[in-house]
This record gives sequence, C-alpha cells and structure tokens, in this order.
Amino acid sequence: APRSRSSPASESPPHSQPTPFTAKPLPAPRHPALISPQDPTLVIGSSLTAACTVNTDSHLSAEDLYWTLNGRRLPAESYKVLNATTLSVALAHLNGSKQQSGDNLVCHSRDGGILAGSCLYVGLPPEKPVNITCWSKNMKDLTCKWAPGTEGETYLHTNYTLKYKLRWYGRDNTCQEYHTAGPYSCHIPKDLALFTPYEIWVEASNRLGVAVSDVVMLDVLDVVTTDPPTDVHVSRVGDLEDQLSVRWSSPPALKDFLFQAKYQIQYRVEDSSEWKVVDDVGNQTSCRLAGLRPGTVYFVQVRCNPFGIYGSKKSGIWSDWSNPTAASTPRSERIPGVCDPKSGEQNSTLRRELKQFFGWVKKHAYGCSNLSIKLYDQWRVWLQKSHKTRNQVGKDPSLILSYLGGPAGGWRASDLGSTGPYPQRRP
Amino acid sequence: MDFRAGDSWGIFAFLCAALWNLPAVPALNSTDEAGAGQSIQKTYDLTRYLEHQLRTLAGTYLNYLGPPFNEPDFNPPRMTRAEMVPSATVDFELWRSLNDNARLAANYRAYTHLLCYLRGMDGQVAKADLRKSLGHFCSSLQGLVVSIAGVMSSLGYPLPGSLGSTDPAWAHGLGPVSPHNDFLKKMDDFWLLKELQTWLWRSAKDFNRLKKKVPPAAVTLSLEAQGF
Repeated sequence: APRSRSSPASESPPHSQPTPFTAKPLPAPRHPALISPQDPTLVIGSSLTAACTVNTDSHLSAEDLYWTLNGRRLPAESYKVLNATTLSVALAHLNGSKQQSGDNLVCHSRDGGILAGSCLYVGLPPEKPVNITCWSKNMKDLTCKWAPGTEGETYLHTNYTLKYKLRWYGRDNTCQEYHTAGPYSCHIPKDLALFTPYEIWVEASNRLGVAVSDVVMLDVLDVVTTDPPTDVHVSRVGDLEDQLSVRWSSPPALKDFLFQAKYQIQYRVEDSSEWKVVDDVGNQTSCRLAGLRPGTVYFVQVRCNPFGIYGSKKSGIWSDWSNPTAASTPRSERIPGVCDPKSGEQNSTLRRELKQFFGWVKKHAYGCSNLSIKLYDQWRVWLQKSHKTRNQVGKDPSLILSYLGGPAGGWRASDLGSTGPYPQRRP
Repeated sequence: MDFRAGDSWGIFAFLCAALWNLPAVPALNSTDEAGAGQSIQKTYDLTRYLEHQLRTLAGTYLNYLGPPFNEPDFNPPRMTRAEMVPSATVDFELWRSLNDNARLAANYRAYTHLLCYLRGMDGQVAKADLRKSLGHFCSSLQGLVVSIAGVMSSLGYPLPGSLGSTDPAWAHGLGPVSPHNDFLKKMDDFWLLKELQTWLWRSAKDFNRLKKKVPPAAVTLSLEAQGF
C-alpha cells in the first residue's frame, strides 16, 4: 500500500519506517515499483537505508535495478538484495538537500527507465528569528522585519509567521501580508491600538521543527515614521557663489496626526558620493547652505522625523530621503574669448531703443507708417547675407543712424532692407 | 440583345456611382469578420508570447525540482494525473481536417484545464519568487483563454460547456488529483509543463491556419442590395 510522508512539524528520527495507515479510497493505479521510506525528512549528517520493491506484474527482479540520487548513479557497493523483488541502498552522512523541493532518490530498471522515486528532505531545524524591528507609517499600520537566525540556510523550506497581541488582552493575531519590505517582513494594515503596548514575535517552522523568537514589546506611537518632505526646491541666493537656499513643505500627514517634525538635509557635489549632513535644521521648512563651491552642481535631499506625538518628547523614525533635487552655485568670472558678449548686448539694447523709437515715429511723424522694428530686423538679416564678417554688425548701428539723419522727406522705407546692395555707406 | 448607347452608359454610370459609394454599401458581416481577424491575430501573438514566457518559467521550475528533472533528455513515464492532462499531439491528418469550430474548441478546452492544473501547482511551491512567476504566467494564460473565447464568439461559435458529458474524465471536476507521493507529483509537474509547451506550439499553428481563412479586412460588396 502506498505510504504517505509524515506530518510537517513532527520530528521523525532517522532510520525509522513510517507507520502504515489505511490507504485513501481512490482508484490507485498500479505503480511499477514502490520505495520505502517515501519522502522522509532527515537531519543533516544522518544515514538512511531505502528499499525499492518492484511490482510482481513487471517481471523484473532485484538484480535488474539500480539507484540514482539527484541524477547521479549510486555505487553498486552500497546496494543489497533483500529478496527477489527488493533492492536496498545505504546512504551515509547525508548533506543538506540540493534543492528545497527535496533530493530525488530514484529506483531504475536496467535500461534506465524510472520505476519509482522518493524525495529526501535533509536539513536542519530552524533557528530563532532575531532582530525584529518595526515601524508605523503615520500611525496607520505596522511593518516589521526580522532576520532568520545565525544559521540562515536550513536547506528546507522554512515558513515564518509573525504574531502579535495586545499586552493585557489574551488574543493572538497572525500577520497576513508577507514580503512587503524584503523576504523576512510582514505588514499589518489596520486595527492597531495606540497607547497600549503590543507583544510581537516571529515563529519559524520547517519539517524538522519550530523555533520562536524572543518577544518584542512596543507601543505603535514610539515607532512612527512619515513620508518625506514634499516640494523640495533648491535655488541660488542672488549672486552669492557659495550659498544655496533650500525650501520644502512638511509632509501632509503631519497635519492629520498632530505631530511636529524635525528635519535633516544632506547634500553632495555632483561627482562625489560623500554626503554632508545638516542636522540642526529644527522644525523650519527652509534652510540656507553656505560654504559651497562656486560654479558647482549640488544634489540635495531632505527627510523628516515626527516627534512630540500627543505630547511625548520622544522622536520617531526618520522618513526616507526626498528625491534628490539639483542646483548649481553661480560662478563669478566670465570665460574669456570664446564669444564676445559685448556686441550682443549692444545689439539688444540698441534694438530695444529702436523699437521704442519706431513706436514714437509712428505716432508723431508723417509718412512713416510703414516703419517698424521689422524693417530693422530685415536689414540685419540682409546684412548678414551680404557681409561675410560678423563684426560689421557692431559698427552698423552708427550707419543706420546717420542714414536716418536726413530730413523726413529725404528717404523712403523701401531703401531700408531692400534687396539691393547697401549704397555708398559701405565701411 | 440590342443595347442603345444610353443604356450601356447608364450601367457604367451606375457602376461608378456604386464604387464611389463603397463605404456606404452594406457589406456582408464585414465588421464581424474584421473583428474576428484581429482577434485571431491577437491570439496568435499571445501564444507566441506565452511560449516565450514559458521557456523561462519552465527552466526555473525544473531547476527547483532538481536533477534529473532539469536534464535535457529527461523522459519519465507518465503516471496518474499526467494521463489526465489533455494531449496536444494528434494525428496530422486529423488535425488538418478539423473544422474551425472543432479547432478552436480543442484549444479552449485544453487551456481551461491546463490553467486549472497550473493553479494547483502554484499552491505547493516553496519559493516565493517562483510562486510569483507562476502567478503571472497563470494570469497571462487566463488572458489566452479569454482571447480564444472572443474569437469563437466573433465567429458565431458557442463556447464548449465546461463539464460536458462528452468530455473525458478529467473534465468532470475531479480536478488535480493529489498523487500519493512527492516524487510522483514532481513527474506530474514535469509533464504538465511539457504538455503546456506542446500546446502552445500547436496553437501557434492552429491560429496561423485560422488567420489565413479569415483575413483581417474582409469586405464583401453586394450588388444585389442595390437591386441591380
């Protein structure tokens, strides 16, 4: 009759034969062979003798069989013929299972065909989980994380359960949402009481046993964190080369939950990984960074710590840093030679003046309705086309003024910016 | 017959007018067939995508099962539940002769059951990340089932009943029968993945075939509608 594996958390000593029980009332197909023990659980280092019994229908005998473990043939020296249809194999000093689904111990017929298999679960019982730390986001929930205990690798699938209960009320609760903040974490989303301590612990269990962590006691109000500050802006302070001004808004939850906040700023130069921390920001929402390098790009982050929750003086847990905001300090000296800003500046002031002039002319002079700053622009374009060198531009404003110097009736709008070459006044 | 010049011009003029007003002429089943054509293309694309996803998933899962399951030529005997998984391999002539309805129905039934078994597999896996990948694959496979149903309804075929009397034993709610031991279960999982792979290969061919029969933009011009 087929044997089932022993129930999960019970400790089955090595070498034991599983206890027989009544087979399930299902139409069980006849297997070519059966292995005993079927799917045993063993401690690392233990030994095991397994037996493969072929079905009388298959016309095979014990001599026709061989064993493999995880695909590797086991040496014939470890075999023993127990009877005409049964071959056993002895395994000593077993290592931890190669995969968590169990080692594959297989009984084959001479031609390589698989007759039966048994999964060996070889490992260690779990260690006590340690370092339980928890935090609450805006007093709405509780997330806890822990570490698996000194050994870590148990070779067996280990299940972790986080449990909690209010200190003076008997009922145990089990956390349901796992892996929210890494593999060993759990999230309790609601129904948390404040002002009363909770007892929190983690149970680890696998096929070889159970281990329970120490109990951690905490009040949700003592482990509160919040969102990072929003709208972080970093700007220059006028022309000051060594300063930047940082401004931010407090996280919105602060208002809802009536706690105060203190802030911390960290900043670094663009191409460095060393952060400088500004600690004494207090509860203001702005700060000035000084002593900075001119003409440098800085990355700035701000974070928040809620405190004074319902009057207590204790601080909570620092929030995450805000997304980095970049800004650069001004640089004083101009870079010489590359481009000459002078004519450019002159041009823009000149153009502005001309525009104003044309505006005035339009209003006050006769026969000048066609005049506009557009003509000047057209002329500039035409100049650039006909003159090869750019530095003529700087000089030409004087030319246009002299050209306009004549009496109002002495010139026509079409002379300006026309297609023809510039008459007589070519420098 | 003796045609006067005016008559043939009249005919010609009408033909031109008819062609000019092409969009306005009620085409027989044009929207249905256009919809079906697009659905078939989408379903085809989905099978190729799933085939690709399965390659990665199967690789990871077989490594989780451990050797010899992840060895290239591994070919264990089929036992218990594995016999209940609908097989994609079928005689070529039989496959070729399937009508559209039968072809689609076979696909629909197969994936409905494969999905059910896959979901059963999901619950047993120890590793969290593998469970997640399996979960994603199941969602995509569910999408395929819905897509096939869409094609069937746009072509006017009824969906196969989920637990019809003509269906073999595995369709009758026996569901994934838990095997007697973990090793047998591993073999069942192996065959499930193999069968899934074979089905996706076959479905690509099925939908390719259907694609050719129902082109995406099929518009039929009916001159009879104009009383001509």
